[in-house]
Amino acid sequence: MAEWHAEWYLSTLSHWLLVGAAMIGLMLATYAVLRRLKVRREAAAGYALILPWLLGFLIWNAYPFAYSLYLAFTEYDVLQPPKWVGLENFKYMFFEDPRFWPSVKLTVLYAFISVPLGMAGALATAVLLAQDVKAVGFWRTLYYLPSVLPAAATALLWRWMFASKGLINTLLSPIYRLLDMEPLMWFADERLVLPSFVIMSFWGIFGANTVILLAALKNVPKELLEAATVDGAGPWTRFFKITLPMISPSLLYVMIMGIIGALQNFTAPLFITTPSGAGTFLNVYIYQQGFTQYKMGYASAIAWFLMVLILILTLLVMRWSEAWVYYEVEVRKKGR
Amino acid sequence: MGLTVRRILKSAFIYACLTMGAAVVMVPLFWMISTSLKGPDALFTYPPEWIPRPPIWRNYIDAWKMLPFTRFLFNTVFITALAVTAELITTSLVAYGFARFDFRGRDVLFVILLATMMLPWVVTLIPSFLIWRRLGLVDTFDPLVLGAWFAWGPAYIFMMRQFFLTIPKSIEEAAIMDGANVVQIYWHIMLPMIRPALLAIAVLSFQGNWNNLQAPLIYLNTMEKYPMVLGLKFFEATLSKEAPMWNYMMAMSVLMALPIVGLFFAAQKYFIEGINIGATKG
Repeated sequence: MAEWHAEWYLSTLSHWLLVGAAMIGLMLATYAVLRRLKVRREAAAGYALILPWLLGFLIWNAYPFAYSLYLAFTEYDVLQPPKWVGLENFKYMFFEDPRFWPSVKLTVLYAFISVPLGMAGALATAVLLAQDVKAVGFWRTLYYLPSVLPAAATALLWRWMFASKGLINTLLSPIYRLLDMEPLMWFADERLVLPSFVIMSFWGIFGANTVILLAALKNVPKELLEAATVDGAGPWTRFFKITLPMISPSLLYVMIMGIIGALQNFTAPLFITTPSGAGTFLNVYIYQQGFTQYKMGYASAIAWFLMVLILILTLLVMRWSEAWVYYEVEVRKKGR
Repeated sequence: MGLTVRRILKSAFIYACLTMGAAVVMVPLFWMISTSLKGPDALFTYPPEWIPRPPIWRNYIDAWKMLPFTRFLFNTVFITALAVTAELITTSLVAYGFARFDFRGRDVLFVILLATMMLPWVVTLIPSFLIWRRLGLVDTFDPLVLGAWFAWGPAYIFMMRQFFLTIPKSIEEAAIMDGANVVQIYWHIMLPMIRPALLAIAVLSFQGNWNNLQAPLIYLNTMEKYPMVLGLKFFEATLSKEAPMWNYMMAMSVLMALPIVGLFFAAQKYFIEGINIGATKG
């Protein structure tokens, strides 16, 4: 290795100390100024305490949020100042860009297939683990392990598993021979990119969800289930009429977080090369447009599209959930 | 009699399902480690060789030396340490403010905070990049760590606030009666009580920073400044040009995963607590 370049680290370290000291100084100053302005002691302390977040929100959320909306209507290559082009970016995105719609399709289908599948797997596992299984901790750890792995490592592992002569095809080769078919190419086959990503995500996601759903299952009141048994309800009735409604808020949480996460899939696809005809995940596409092609305006337009898409899909799921999520509080109110 | 037979059958069924699921989970992990210990000619054997004979431990050393991985590791530790420290300090202060102090606009601000959790990071990505670029700090570590002073990670603030809410107010009230000020109460009373939450967030935030690919990918250009993830990406891109050397790639993936898996075993309670706080109290 050539040089150690201590100055790289020292300069960041000194900036880090400086910003930290400045932040604490600003908090104290805010408190002093507000007190001088006759603000109540409690309120002044509150404002001072949330100051880091408030500043962060203004600098790193609110301003970038507004500025990227502006950029979405411009052409901007970083070197020249942004040029206003009106709706050009959106026109190109919706009607001309051959890679846009395949990417939307891949991203949305991925979210809507992988999340329910992962939930079903997690729910089944959680139900099994809730049956007074010995050494629950051991099983839980085992199932949780894949979701701890860095996405980069998981992606490389599955690329290797799905390689043309990888483990999956080796294990499937008797079946291939039996059916007299060519081995599947998985990530290299345009039509199999989506299923391959879904299988990979299934392996990685359901551990964390299992933990959440298991905790929810443990919270279902035993008296309710016992009362139902006394009334003659069988195990299936108990599960569908009592357990499932009782854990429905957790299911909704897992579903919404899962969908938001899946729509923003980034690290794994960046490690996995797929044929261009299959499209790519929107986040990756935005990154490519913005930071390898330097079309910052167009990238901002797609980013805004993704945000609106996430918003709409989340709202739709919430709306739909009103039909099946059960909140204890509401029912109690109605009962009164 | 029938009842016990049924019970035995039922538990046999449960354990069979659990074991099968566990096999599905563990086989890829096992395959990753097994591949990392193989020579290049043992990679594609049929039937697959599960336990490489002999295991080639040198793969780890050889792969590590192909790129400045020691430097990558140091960079990761440096970035993670600064970011997590700043994050813990500011997150706990902000959460304390939201949980315990009454001020005008608090609830609106908290709803805004929750809303930012839904905001996709790509939306703010380009303007943030432009800010750092104007500051002349692209290709330094600054963009990866300085933002942590602004209590980034709204989910952590939320978790921490939920935790503060579980602490009875009477504890501070006694201290207020004794004339203690906010700083004293925070330092002497709150900090010791929120230790479990701090640890949970430290663990999650360590994991997040360790795995974070987006920010380094966008801000760092010089290879010697890369953290492990980006090093792994670069390694993958270099190796994929020729026949991919899967044994080396798996070796580096194992090393990338090792600290997180180790942390997970050491602090499992906090991982599980962390994800559950968000789910059940949300």
